[in-house]
Amino acid sequence: MDVEAKRIMALSISKLYSLRTQRGGLRLHRSLLLSMTMRAARDIYHTAQLLRDAEEEQVVPCAPDAATEEPMEISKDSSQTLTPKEVAMKPQESLEEDKENRCASERHSRKRRDKAALEPDFLPLKKAKMDTDEEKQHLQGEILRTNNGNSCRQADTLTAFPTNRAIVAC
Amino acid sequence: MAGAGGGGNDVQWCFSQVKGAIDDDVAEADIISTVEFNHSGELLATGDKGGRVVIFQQETENKSQPQCRSEYNVYSTFQSHEPEFDYLKSLEIEEKINKIRWLPQKNAAQFLLSTNDKTIKLWKISERDKRPEGYNLKEEDGRYRDAATITTLRVPVFRPMDLMVEASPRRVFANAHTYHINSISVNSDNETYLSADDLRINLWHLEITDRSFNIVDIKPANMEELTEVITAAEFHPHQCNTFVYSSSKGTIRLCDMRASALCDKHSKLFEEPEDPSNRSFFSEIISSISDVKFSHNGRYMMTRDYLSVKIWDLNMENRPVETYQVHEYLRSKLCSLYENDCIFDKFECCWNGNDSVVMTGSYNNFFRMLDRSQRRDVTLEASRESCKPRQVLKPRRVCAGGKRKKDEISVDSLDFNKKILHTAWHPQENIIAVATTNNLYIFQEKVN
Repeated sequence: MDVEAKRIMALSISKLYSLRTQRGGLRLHRSLLLSMTMRAARDIYHTAQLLRDAEEEQVVPCAPDAATEEPMEISKDSSQTLTPKEVAMKPQESLEEDKENRCASERHSRKRRDKAALEPDFLPLKKAKMDTDEEKQHLQGEILRTNNGNSCRQADTLTAFPTNRAIVAC
Repeated sequence: MAGAGGGGNDVQWCFSQVKGAIDDDVAEADIISTVEFNHSGELLATGDKGGRVVIFQQETENKSQPQCRSEYNVYSTFQSHEPEFDYLKSLEIEEKINKIRWLPQKNAAQFLLSTNDKTIKLWKISERDKRPEGYNLKEEDGRYRDAATITTLRVPVFRPMDLMVEASPRRVFANAHTYHINSISVNSDNETYLSADDLRINLWHLEITDRSFNIVDIKPANMEELTEVITAAEFHPHQCNTFVYSSSKGTIRLCDMRASALCDKHSKLFEEPEDPSNRSFFSEIISSISDVKFSHNGRYMMTRDYLSVKIWDLNMENRPVETYQVHEYLRSKLCSLYENDCIFDKFECCWNGNDSVVMTGSYNNFFRMLDRSQRRDVTLEASRESCKPRQVLKPRRVCAGGKRKKDEISVDSLDFNKKILHTAWHPQENIIAVATTNNLYIFQEKVN
């Protein structure tokens, strides 16, 4: 499942990059749809990662914080194999709002915020890499906040975990 | 010709004409980007990616030969928009014509609005079939005569000449849109029209070019909170105070301009709850509405999203009254369609004259006729292979999976580069114009 998510995430990012060179200026609608898809894929990917990390924590109790910084470069593939996980349906609203706030900074340049609405306020993607690392930490922080990220209270980790949207594999 | 178009399925469709180059090597400038009949159906306008507008005119029927159908021939061709460069933002502005809308005819001349991403233009198309001859001070070729040689006076007279059709830009409505214009719609009051971009809708007076009123603005104060954009907008056909706009989230908002100057608060919100079993990575994209059209009687509106056409009753907001699947076999292929960008294709849809049948395009140069009254649908193809005069179009079938029957085409054999995005239906007769990438097909009802 997260292999698919990773692929879609990479695909979305490359499409977002190529939008910048397209004739006619940045297309807001297309960019919005691409970002949403990328976010959805990324969230699935990250939560799958976290599930895996959580499993590892179970296996090795009292290990130090297992959160590893994974760069956005998809070429650097982790060697972990994924155990298939079933993801349950989830009510969307709370997580979506969160995602919007977190992910929107990818799309918005802090530099341009002050300018009047003379230009399309769509961010060139240079910020994407940096921000997603930050956001990943933030996401992890949220998930693990009940146990400070250091403890081995598996039960809390798992139940504090927001459930995911059902994704139909294509 | 028969009267207002009847059902789409007891009608047999025949090939009538095809316009455009035959060769497969398509020049990008020739890609058709919009098709529109005028209010009488006598004129058919197309816009292309190169910024040109071509208008076809229906020849007056030869009543003595009812078998001989009237044909559409080129009436006028002109360059509507040129590529521009926005120096402030270092952006190129495409000359592609996004939409053409005709004004109802008021006098001998015809008027249409054409728009690219940023600028709307009002064009006057007029005929000249006489010219004055016999000037005193000028020769026929325009050279001035030597005053000393003039000994008599004469009155110039109008003499017939070969018909000349002139297109002249009468108004240019510019600099009102930060984002890309996706729709224009002429109001039933014949004085105003709206233009919509991704985040804003402006109201114009046809006579005034230096000002427009902003009537919808969904731009959030913080662009980080942007979740949806406007994808299409249209005025109600009879109520000059009412318009609708659709969004990328699959919702339609109906607004009443009498309620307030800024119509950010809708009067009605049309939205169908999502089917959770169909949820996927691409649910957002395929629920985005690509076109919205009111029915001619003004009681219904139709929306097109990636996989379906929905008919909404204006009095019922919580769900459409009818839903038609255009190409449901694509639902399992969304990932590939995302990869090749086809999932972003914006299909349009249209009503027939009496609102009993709707039509929309698909891939492989297929288009779909959906008969509302008889609850039947048919898939037809616009292809050079069915181009014999009056050749009846054979229904096509797509095999979704499993065993392919004879005459069926499998989903994997569909050509996704051959897409029909733009179609138009004559307002009174069963004549349709279907645009493939660079060709315009005209089909007519079979008459016996």
